[in-house]
Amino acid sequence: MSSLDRTEVPERGTMRDFSFPDVTRVDGPNGLDLRVGRMSRLPVVSVNLFMRAGEAALAPSRAGLGVLTADALEGGSRRRSGTEIAEAMESIGARLSAAGGWEGTSVAMSCLADRLPEAMAILAETVLEPAFPDDEVERAKEQQLAHIRQRTMDPGSLATDAARVRYFAESVPYARPVDGSVESIAEMQRDSMRGYADANYRPGGGGLVVVGDVEPTEVQAMVREHFGSWEGEPGTRPDFTVEPRTRQCTITVVNRPTSVQSEIRVGHVGAARSTPDYYALSIANMVLGGMFTSRLNLNLRERNGWTYGVRSRFTFRSQPGPFQVSAAVGSEATGPAVREIVHELRGMAQDGPTEEEVTAARDFAAGIFGLQLETAAQVATRVSQLIVFGLPDDHFDRYRDTVRGVTRDQAAGAAARHIRPDELQIVVAGRADEVVGQLEALEVGPVEVVEADA
Amino acid sequence: MSGLSIPFERHTLDNGLKVVLAPDDTVPIVATNLWYGVGSRNEIPGRTGFAHLFEHMMFQGSQHVPKNKHFELIEKVGGSANATTWFDRTNYFEKVPSNDLELSLWLESDRMGFMLPAMTQEKLDNQRDVVKNEKRQRYDNQPYGDWEERLLKLIFPEDHPYRHTVIGSMADIDAATLDDVSDFFETFYVPNNAVLTLAGDFVPAEAIEQIKRYFGDIERGAPIPALPGNPTIDPKIGTTVRDDVSADVPLPRVIMGHRIPPYSSPDFAVAQVAESLLGKGRASRFYSRLVRERRVAKSVVVFVYPLLTGASMMLVWATGYPDTELDALEAAVSEELESLAAPNQSEIDRAITLTETDLVRSLERVAERADQLSMFDLYFDDPGRLNRELDRLRAVSLEQVSAFASEYLVPDNRAVVTFQPMEAR
Repeated sequence: MSSLDRTEVPERGTMRDFSFPDVTRVDGPNGLDLRVGRMSRLPVVSVNLFMRAGEAALAPSRAGLGVLTADALEGGSRRRSGTEIAEAMESIGARLSAAGGWEGTSVAMSCLADRLPEAMAILAETVLEPAFPDDEVERAKEQQLAHIRQRTMDPGSLATDAARVRYFAESVPYARPVDGSVESIAEMQRDSMRGYADANYRPGGGGLVVVGDVEPTEVQAMVREHFGSWEGEPGTRPDFTVEPRTRQCTITVVNRPTSVQSEIRVGHVGAARSTPDYYALSIANMVLGGMFTSRLNLNLRERNGWTYGVRSRFTFRSQPGPFQVSAAVGSEATGPAVREIVHELRGMAQDGPTEEEVTAARDFAAGIFGLQLETAAQVATRVSQLIVFGLPDDHFDRYRDTVRGVTRDQAAGAAARHIRPDELQIVVAGRADEVVGQLEALEVGPVEVVEADA
Repeated sequence: MSGLSIPFERHTLDNGLKVVLAPDDTVPIVATNLWYGVGSRNEIPGRTGFAHLFEHMMFQGSQHVPKNKHFELIEKVGGSANATTWFDRTNYFEKVPSNDLELSLWLESDRMGFMLPAMTQEKLDNQRDVVKNEKRQRYDNQPYGDWEERLLKLIFPEDHPYRHTVIGSMADIDAATLDDVSDFFETFYVPNNAVLTLAGDFVPAEAIEQIKRYFGDIERGAPIPALPGNPTIDPKIGTTVRDDVSADVPLPRVIMGHRIPPYSSPDFAVAQVAESLLGKGRASRFYSRLVRERRVAKSVVVFVYPLLTGASMMLVWATGYPDTELDALEAAVSEELESLAAPNQSEIDRAITLTETDLVRSLERVAERADQLSMFDLYFDDPGRLNRELDRLRAVSLEQVSAFASEYLVPDNRAVVTFQPMEAR
C-alpha cells in the first residue's frame, strides 16, 4: 500500500468495445419511417414522434403557430378532455410532451415497457384527433404571451433575442424568436391551430422512433393498429436562404439599468448541419469554447475570474443557424471580457487549434459520446436526429471513428471558414452607463444603445 | 411493478471512509461519487457561502494535480466531472469510460488527502470572483432572484443552520481567507466524513483494492463538530408569516413554504406523495385546477426539500398572469392545499405510480444510482434504503395524506413571499 506513486497520472486500462444500440427499420403503415431500438437494461420505453411541422416554414405573421399548436395539443381529443387524457397516462406512470421547433414538431413519450400498448394508443389519440377546445386555446395563448413577457425581463434572453436579430437578415425566420411575437400570437385562433395541425401533422418526412425493452414486431403491430390510417405530407415546407443582416462588425448595448452583470453575446451566422466541415468545426469549437478546459473558459473564468462560465456554440440546423459565444460577466469587466472573446475568436480563425488541443478535443468527443447513451430517451433522441437531418443509418455507428479522424489542419480550415472575426455582432445586455465607455474604448466600432423594453 | 433490486456491497476502510460498490456491466462506463457530510448548515456566522466557495477550491488542484488538470484529464478521456453544494452535504462526481476508473480515484484521493499544499491566495481570489459572478448570474441579476433568501428567513428561526442560503452573502464571500480554507478542509474533508460510491462497469474485488490503495493512507480526522447555532426547532411555524415584495419582475408570483418533518421522519414519504399529488404531471391538482380549469396561474411548481436538521420544508411556487391579483392567486393555492385533507384513493395511486416511474427512470443512469446510494449511506447509514424506496411510497395511505395536509399545509404553519411587478412597464 505504501508503494503508491501519486506523481504519475494512472495508466489507462483497455477500452471496452462499445456499439450504438441496435436499431431496426420496420415497415410502418403508409410509408411511415418507423425505427425500433432495443435496450433491455430496464423495463422502460421512450418514444419520439417527429413531424415536419416546423416554425421555419411559417410566414412572419404566423410565427409561433407551430409552437403554440404543440402546446395546445395536450388540451384534449375528440373523445376525452385534457385532464382525462392526463389521468389515463399518468395512472400508468407514462408521460407525454409535445414541442414545436424550427425543424418540426416532436412528441416525446415515456412509459414502462408493459404499458406501451395503452400509452401508444393515447399518443395516437392525442396527435391524430386533437380537439383544441376554446378554453385550451386561450390557455396556451395566455401562457405564451406571459412567457414572452418573462423573456423581456430576463437578462440572458434579452441579450440572446437582440443578438439573433443582428445575426440574420430580416427575411430569415431564424432572426425571430422561435415561439413568435406578441402580435403574431394575439392573432391566433382555434381555427388556426386546427387548420395547422390538420395540414401539417402528417407522417411524410417525419418518423416514429421507439427505444427500450421492446420487440420490433410487437411495436410494428401496435403502430399499424393506431397509426394505420395516418397519411399525407405536411402542407408547408420551408423556403428561404440564410443571409446575414450585415457583414460589418456592430456593438449594441441593451440598456437594463437594474443589471448587476452584463450578459454578452458575440456571434454571426454559423453553418448548416449538412456542412462537410461538421466534424472538423465541432472539434475547433470544442477547443474554442465547447469544453470546461476550452480557451475561452480558461481565459475568462480560470485566469481572470470575470465569469461563472463562457461557452461557444454552432447551432446546426437544416440551414445555417447561429454561431455564438455567451457569457455573463461583472459589469466592470465587460470591456476586457469582450476584448478577450474577440481575441480568442481571431486566434482560432487565423491559426486554428494546436495539434495537442485537437487530440484532447477528439478524445473528449469520442469518449463523451458513449457516456451519453445510457438511457432509452438519450438513444431515442439521437435516432430522431437521423430523421430530422436525413443522416445515414450507420451515422452513429461510425461516429467515434469519424471524429477521431479529424486532423489539425481540417479543424484549422473549418475554423478559418466559419469564424469571421471581422463580421462579429456584439450584444451586451446590462447597464449602459457602466459599459458603453468600456466598449467604445475597444475601438471595434460605434456603440449603439437600445432600451430593454423598447 | 416489482420492487427495486440494485445490487451493491459495502465496505469501511480503517480510516473511516465508507465505500459502496454497485456493479452493472451493461454500459461501458463507471460513475464515481463522493458525498462529504458538510454543507451550508455547517457554516459559522460571517462565513455564509463558504462551503460552496470551498467546493470551487477543490477543483484548483492538489499536491500532485496542477491547476486545471482535473477537468483537463477528465475531458481528455471523454468524461464529465462536477460538484454541488447543498444545505446538508457537498457531492463530487466523475463519469468516465470504465477503463479510466483509476483516473477518477487518483484525482479524488489526491484532493481528499493532499489539497492544502496546492492552495494559494491567487487561486482563492480567482475562485472568489468566479463565485461572485455565479451569484450575480443565478440570483442577483435574475427576476425573483432573492426569493429563497427571503423565504428561509421566514421558515427558520434566528440561529437555525438553514436560515441562510447555500450561495451566502457577497460580504461573507469577500471575507473568506486562506486560513478558512485550511480550517474547513481539516475539519470536514476527512475520510471519516465521506462516502465513496462507484456504480457501473467494474469488478468489485479489484475496485476495493484500488480504493484501498488510493484512499487507505489518508489519515482519519477528528470527529465532526456539532452544528453551529441552534438546530432544534418547533415542528410548525405557529402562524402565517409573510414578506410582500414589489420588484422588477414580469409576472405576479406567490411562493408558499410550510415547515414539514425532516427527511429522516417516516412522515416524509407522505410529504412526497402529497407533493406528487399536488404538483406532478398534468392530472395533478394544481395543474388541472389552477392552470387548466381556472386559469388563475400560468404555472405551479411544488417541491419538497429532503432536509435533515430539525425540520424540512415543502414549497409551492405559483406564477400568475399579468392581470392576476396576488390575493386571488394566494387564495386559490390555499384552497387546494386545504382541500388536500380530503383526497381520493385514485389520485393517490396515480401520484405514487408517477413517482415510482420517475425514480426507476432516473436510475437508468449509473451516476444517479451512485448519487442516491451515497446519499442514503451518508444520511442514514443505509444505502440499501434505495431498494426500499418504492415500498416506502406504496405504504402511504389516504388517511396519512389527509392527516399530513390537515396538520402541516395550513395557515398556522405558513410562510408566504409574494412578488408584485412594479408599475411603469
